[in-house]
Amino acid sequence: MAYELMSGSQAAAVAVQRVGVDLVAAYPITPQTAIVETLANFEGKGELGGEFVSVESEYAALACCYGAAAAGARVFTATASHGLAYMHEMIHWCSGARVPIVMVNVNRTIGAPWSLDPDQGDSLSQRDTGWMQIYCSGAQEVLDTVMQAFLLSEELLLPCMVVFDGFYISHTYEAVDVPDLEKTRKFIGPPPFTAQVQPEKPANIHALITGDMQADLVRNRHETMLRAPAVFKEINHRFAETFGRSYGVIDSVMPPGTKKVILAAGATAETVRWTLPELEQTGMVQLRMFRPFPREDLCNLFEAHDIEQVVVIDRNCSTGMGGILAQELQAAVYGMEKPPAVKDIILAGGIDLTPEMLVKALTETASLDKVEQKWGVDLR
Amino acid sequence: MRIDEYKQESEMLNPGHNACPGCGAALAVRYLTRALGPNLAIVLTASCWSIISGMPPLTALKCPILHCPFPSAGSVGSGLRRGLNARGQHNTTVVVLAGDGGTFDIGLQALSGAAQRNEDYLFVCYDNEAYMNTGMQTSSATPFGARTNTAPYPLFKEGQKKDIMQIMAAHGIPYAATATVAFPDDMERKLKKAQEIRGFRFMHILSPCPPGWGTDSSDTIHLSRLAVNTGFFPLYEIVNGVSWKMTCQPEGKRTPLKEYLQNQRRFKQMEDLRIEALQEEVDHDWEALQEKIEATKCSD
Amino acid sequence: MLPDITTEKLVYAHGTESSAVNKTGEWRFMTPERMPGLSPCRQGCLLDGEVPAWLEAVKREQWEEAWQIMRRNNPFPALTGYTCFHPCTENCNREQLDSGIDIPSVEKAIGLWRLDQYKPGQQRDLLKDEIAVIGSGPAGLSCAYYLNQVGYRVTVYEKSDQIGGMLALGIPEYRLPRSILNKELNLLKEEGVEFVTGCEIGQDLSLDELYEKYSEVFLAPGAWKSRKAGIPGEESRGVWNALDFLSEFNSGKQPEVKDPVIVIGGGNAAIDSARSALRMNGVNHVTLVYRRSRAEMPAYQPEVEAAENEGVELIFNALPGKIDTVDGRVSGAEFNYSKTNRQGLVVDKSSSFHKSCGTVIMALGQEQDSSIFSSLEKDVSFYAGGDLVTGPATVSEAIRAGRIAAEAMIARLENLPEPELCLPVEDPISFEDLYLEASVNLEIKDQQEMPEKEASRCLGCGTCNSCGICYLFCPDMAIDIVDGRYELNLDYCKGCGICYRECPSRALILKGGK
Repeated sequence: MAYELMSGSQAAAVAVQRVGVDLVAAYPITPQTAIVETLANFEGKGELGGEFVSVESEYAALACCYGAAAAGARVFTATASHGLAYMHEMIHWCSGARVPIVMVNVNRTIGAPWSLDPDQGDSLSQRDTGWMQIYCSGAQEVLDTVMQAFLLSEELLLPCMVVFDGFYISHTYEAVDVPDLEKTRKFIGPPPFTAQVQPEKPANIHALITGDMQADLVRNRHETMLRAPAVFKEINHRFAETFGRSYGVIDSVMPPGTKKVILAAGATAETVRWTLPELEQTGMVQLRMFRPFPREDLCNLFEAHDIEQVVVIDRNCSTGMGGILAQELQAAVYGMEKPPAVKDIILAGGIDLTPEMLVKALTETASLDKVEQKWGVDLR
Repeated sequence: MRIDEYKQESEMLNPGHNACPGCGAALAVRYLTRALGPNLAIVLTASCWSIISGMPPLTALKCPILHCPFPSAGSVGSGLRRGLNARGQHNTTVVVLAGDGGTFDIGLQALSGAAQRNEDYLFVCYDNEAYMNTGMQTSSATPFGARTNTAPYPLFKEGQKKDIMQIMAAHGIPYAATATVAFPDDMERKLKKAQEIRGFRFMHILSPCPPGWGTDSSDTIHLSRLAVNTGFFPLYEIVNGVSWKMTCQPEGKRTPLKEYLQNQRRFKQMEDLRIEALQEEVDHDWEALQEKIEATKCSD
Repeated sequence: MLPDITTEKLVYAHGTESSAVNKTGEWRFMTPERMPGLSPCRQGCLLDGEVPAWLEAVKREQWEEAWQIMRRNNPFPALTGYTCFHPCTENCNREQLDSGIDIPSVEKAIGLWRLDQYKPGQQRDLLKDEIAVIGSGPAGLSCAYYLNQVGYRVTVYEKSDQIGGMLALGIPEYRLPRSILNKELNLLKEEGVEFVTGCEIGQDLSLDELYEKYSEVFLAPGAWKSRKAGIPGEESRGVWNALDFLSEFNSGKQPEVKDPVIVIGGGNAAIDSARSALRMNGVNHVTLVYRRSRAEMPAYQPEVEAAENEGVELIFNALPGKIDTVDGRVSGAEFNYSKTNRQGLVVDKSSSFHKSCGTVIMALGQEQDSSIFSSLEKDVSFYAGGDLVTGPATVSEAIRAGRIAAEAMIARLENLPEPELCLPVEDPISFEDLYLEASVNLEIKDQQEMPEKEASRCLGCGTCNSCGICYLFCPDMAIDIVDGRYELNLDYCKGCGICYRECPSRALILKGGK
């Protein structure tokens, strides 16, 4: 065991270095910069293994990754907020192109006006781009998940986004168990052959096709992504055997007699976890995988425990509808024999959630049995 | 001109592609792939060639074509080059192919970034002087005075055509050259020269577009030749951004620009005043180019 | 481990099959087509030869192909290569660029190639009718050749004991090596043409008898009757008529000639006589006297120049008044000066000069001898050609006549439509018509010795010369290279017309429709 004190950003960079990639292309943006800088440092010391390309924009970063991945290289990039939004076209393109790419997004509110707090709206608004999304609640989790994301992405030929909150995770330090390089390389292995561009072979790659052909591809992509929970579990099973840790697509804490659960993704899940002992008959679910949405795992959990109420912590707001996780959950539980009521706590603007606010939120939403939105700023 | 060495087997362009009759871009890519193939990978951004390349399961080229979104060409090229290197395929020539829109306009940032990083590939702009795939809308490569569907009569394109070659020269890249389809020998020589050079290389190829320019499809070569002979599109090359050299200069006096303009519908109803203005612009650019070439000679 | 997306579904996203299955020729509404235009050389050719076409084949070193094109109009390129005056070269468009194409040398090369290549094959079955040809000169040989090629049994009757007519007896060795002529004649014999020598029709055999035996008869006895000057002394010893002199000389006999020699006349026979005489032992001085000016000489000018260079003295604007004799043998001749005005030739009786000599060769021209028809009593239609019809003309014109006669006979015997005599009516393609903007093969400026190289300089002028410009500039890969030639592939041609527009030779047209 080799514990090191490091931030979430550093953990992400260390994971990339441990895995061994051919190419990192990135552009700096707060609060992601530490990832880029750490990777550049690795390159400076000759420890990155691959190339680090300082490109002229986030769009270029992902475009560069696309090109390299199409040649069969293992690639990584990281961004946040406006950077992610700027990439939007390429984000769609990469999933359609079925290239394996791992990207870290550090949550930060999208302007205007300028804002730095970790609203999850940047990554959640990329919900329909065909990328897998996994949300992390701490530096260790970031490190492990980034490593696992490469295996997941390469297995399914779908790009994968690993997401965590700006500052609360990216800039806070914790003791992280950094796995041994050789051990990691052995576990991850070299990238499988995924080259689409093969110089000796004529191929008109991702050229214009008909709607019918596109429909086939979209269905295949959808069905492939639905396999992600099973593949992810299998990866974690092996990961546990090697490193002694593992994660699920959802991670839950269910004290005896739980009838109500709090659902959260990212750093707020950690707050919930620490507040749980103060709450009665209340369990929690950390939603780790957001795409594909782990509907089956959630429904099974709720059914097994006869859950009556789910309080969702949404550090985001889809204007005109409300918290995005709550909407997704509503849709997921619809059709259950006894679907739980869904309450929604909206921490738009990326505001912090204190244990006090959480307790207050639970009290204020307790009596309601239909969808209820509670604004975080009103809980102070 | 010698074409004895032309063998059908060395052609990389398949018949049955989707270009319009008389397409200059189809020819440009034919010469390009022939000269650089067979170990070649092409990054292709949104442009006429996105259609010309054919609909899968078909392909118009005997080498891989990686399609990419409109603004991304320069960056995807960087990635592909490095990705191929990572897989040990250093000998594969990477060509990024973009139209004038994907080069002068929406693609300029990526192009500039890649040029500045001196990425090791060849960026080829086939310039048909407007957004032709979407039906002839103004781009910053559209020459002054031309009418487009976003500058219809009585409007016309105002402002000069962007001087992309000066922009590329300012990046100090190892090699930049102009070429056009009427002079395949010149083009081939430049392509092969570019292929031997490491680092970022740029080719600007004027490709007449019969439907867009409103010209007879049989006039493609003729117009391309006139563009050179009038000095509207001089053929030259720039080494390291500083060493300028004319490669294919018309003998004797330059042909008056009017001859080039007169049979193109996009310049129809162009007043004499504006023809003169465009002629002056061409003369001015020509003189400026000659000065650079002379300066190069003096420093040699 | 990888999902099946790579192998199956990605086929959609990875087109790997050639677009060649997409027949873009369907889009076409204009179609390029090869349509040979008339070149100056074709217009000039006495044999209607497709000159640019066989030059093109030689350029590609396809000799067999060149010969096959050649023989459509001219079965004896070696003979014409040596003897023809080649009006084809007179207006060659390439002359305006650097130097004209040396067509004769390439023609000769094709002929020599053919003679070298010929290997006596199996005896062909000649199953068709028997045809008689009278006269073994170029017209008769040509007619015999074409008839023999399609299976007729041909017998050629020759009054002399030598085959070849004017080729053997009229044209000197230095202009046509006898070895070449003999090869051609042997070739004809091997192919099955029968020759009967020493048999004069009208004397030894009547025309009527021929018509009884043969399905068709071709009359090509030539024009052997020499014109007379009608002056005193013309019949004395030492005065030759040119044809008799040339016949003796060319058949290897030594005609009796004493130095110095005067040749009277300005035609080709006069020049041939003068140059031949100069080649004889004991002859040191030959003078040629012609009644008109140099420019008016009917002789082929390069031949005149050659004669002059060899040392033949030329006197113009003078004609003989009488031939002096001593003991019945020529000793000299009296000449009067003459000039040409509106009334024609005017003799100036007041001025005269005398020239002494040992021999006079009268080359005043030949005419046809119609006595051959005296042996014809039957009412038949007949074919005739060569000098008999045209009066004294050239080898090439005679060969053409033989071909046309053969075609007409074949048409009649086989009930085919009568062949049309297509005489070119259009203007030939001029230098200005050519489009040399992107032309290939302009580097070689001077005439070349290698026939392939020389042929490659041909600009085509209305005929495809395989320069490849169409191939080079086709955006649609709709031109295929087949054995070095460029063939339109209409499966893919979208009809843009670039090939038509850019063709330097103007060998293509663009038609409306598919």
